[in-house]
Amino acid sequence: MNRRTVKSSFLIVVASLLIVGGALFLGPHFINPFGMGDVDRNVLLGIRLPRVLVALIMGAGLGASGAVLQGFLRNPLADPYILGLSGGAALMASGGILFGSRLFGPFSIPLYAFVGSLLTGLLVGFMAYWRRGFWPERLLLAGVGLGFLFTALLMLMMSLSTNEGLRRAIHWIFGDLSISDWPLIPYGGAIVAGGGLIGLWRARALNALMLGDEIAHSLGFSPFRERLLLFISVGLMTSASVSLGGTVGFVGLLIPHIVRFLTGPDARSLIPLSAFSGAAMLCLADLIGRTVLSPMEVPAGIVTAILGAPYFLYLLRRQDVLGG
Amino acid sequence: MSWEVDALNILQLRDVCFSYDGSPFVEGLNLCIGEGLFCGLIGPNGSGKSTIMKITSGILTPDSGDVLLWGKDIHSYSGSDRAKLISYLPQLLDLKLPFTVRELVSMGAYPYKIPPEITVAEAVEMVGLQNEIESPISELSGGERRRAFIAMTLLQGAGLILLDEPLANLDIRFQIELIRLLKDLREKKGISVLMALHDINLIYHFDYLFVVKEGRLVCEGDPLEIITEGLLSDVYGVELKVYPQEDGTMLFRV
Repeated sequence: MNRRTVKSSFLIVVASLLIVGGALFLGPHFINPFGMGDVDRNVLLGIRLPRVLVALIMGAGLGASGAVLQGFLRNPLADPYILGLSGGAALMASGGILFGSRLFGPFSIPLYAFVGSLLTGLLVGFMAYWRRGFWPERLLLAGVGLGFLFTALLMLMMSLSTNEGLRRAIHWIFGDLSISDWPLIPYGGAIVAGGGLIGLWRARALNALMLGDEIAHSLGFSPFRERLLLFISVGLMTSASVSLGGTVGFVGLLIPHIVRFLTGPDARSLIPLSAFSGAAMLCLADLIGRTVLSPMEVPAGIVTAILGAPYFLYLLRRQDVLGG
Repeated sequence: MSWEVDALNILQLRDVCFSYDGSPFVEGLNLCIGEGLFCGLIGPNGSGKSTIMKITSGILTPDSGDVLLWGKDIHSYSGSDRAKLISYLPQLLDLKLPFTVRELVSMGAYPYKIPPEITVAEAVEMVGLQNEIESPISELSGGERRRAFIAMTLLQGAGLILLDEPLANLDIRFQIELIRLLKDLREKKGISVLMALHDINLIYHFDYLFVVKEGRLVCEGDPLEIITEGLLSDVYGVELKVYPQEDGTMLFRV
């Protein structure tokens, strides 16, 4: 790790911690950490903390899976949703919301989303397997194809629906962290952490795959096995974050680019730092979203895009994105 | 010919057949690479050079026949054990890599749990890129980029390096420099090289030459002895005059 990486990593970690502190105590209602009453304590533990934790888990999952995906697909435009996972999740979750299905109590909607996402992942993986290989182009095309199909089915379902679930479904699709609840957090956190650890474990293989399959093989890695493991890592992280709070754009696509600008392309630092930055970014976006128009809430996904895209475009003008 | 395992042969292909989509592409190929030899592989376009390189490196698995690395089936090695013995660089290297020379070269240590014999800086110095060590790969010239990848394979420390047409797209100076570098490494570190190439004007540099046509080995041996007008006419279908020179080089005229 060079000096630039160490310095930027330090800044990213400090900034993330400050943002988390801010997200807990600031907002439409300021909580003084040194003089909390019962109401404050209830707001903090019952509402703010779970919400901040969900934002952190989702942001970390999306940031890290974006970093893994852009590497192993060798495509700077890849984001965790391009594989159609969010489409499958949205279809199942919205179906659950619209038809009012509560088979699994409070776990129902997140569970539908998770199952929808995982099934889509299996389908995409099956399509991408061809001639004893697991091919990036096939993964992308299968994901995009299935994504279109699921979006169309979702639109069909929504346009035929007349019940009051419609608004909730739309809110879910745009990334709604207000539904975050304590019971889901341990599961979501564990799955994102598991996926992230697989990604970190295979970080060297991910670097090698960026040099091309043949050189990765020459360095001792099996491209098929490595891509499969990395795909599982992305699938777990994306599915868990979509299930926790719907689809939040920008984080998975642009956070890895921003971190790469700041700290370099080595996956061993890129994956954890993208997780940190994604977590902080989403936390900040959620804080802004629930504060600026209070008591109305702007979905975090919309805030991330409005804030993050101009910063990304500024970096794009200043530096070379693709390294070419 | 006897196919006993020869301690001096790092790599042997025995009766290798390979087909793409059912149509045979490489048939009954036998090939031995001796320790410390600088070997060339020539043949017309589509003669199977790249396929042979990929079979030799273990990327492609033959339909039948054996690929033996130090007398043992190459596919029986673990990935990292194989990587310590043999390395391969394809013809096309990605031009848009985000890594610096140092980051790229350090990947050569991936097969190792403990750091390999030489350091990244030493490997970079061996290929003469010490002034570019922090430069992005994308800003290097074609010849420098090729050398950066070779530095990575030097750190990898394999005794056999397979290079698929590394001289293509390089001007004459870089071609000569690269050949000198590889021969120098052979002298200093006893590395064996198998290089696929197109330019027959360069074949006198090699200790040993394999000539392939339509997936079959046509001829092998010391280039100065085996390259004749008849062979070139047979393999390439063109009439060339061959003029061996006193200094051990060769001249070709149409």
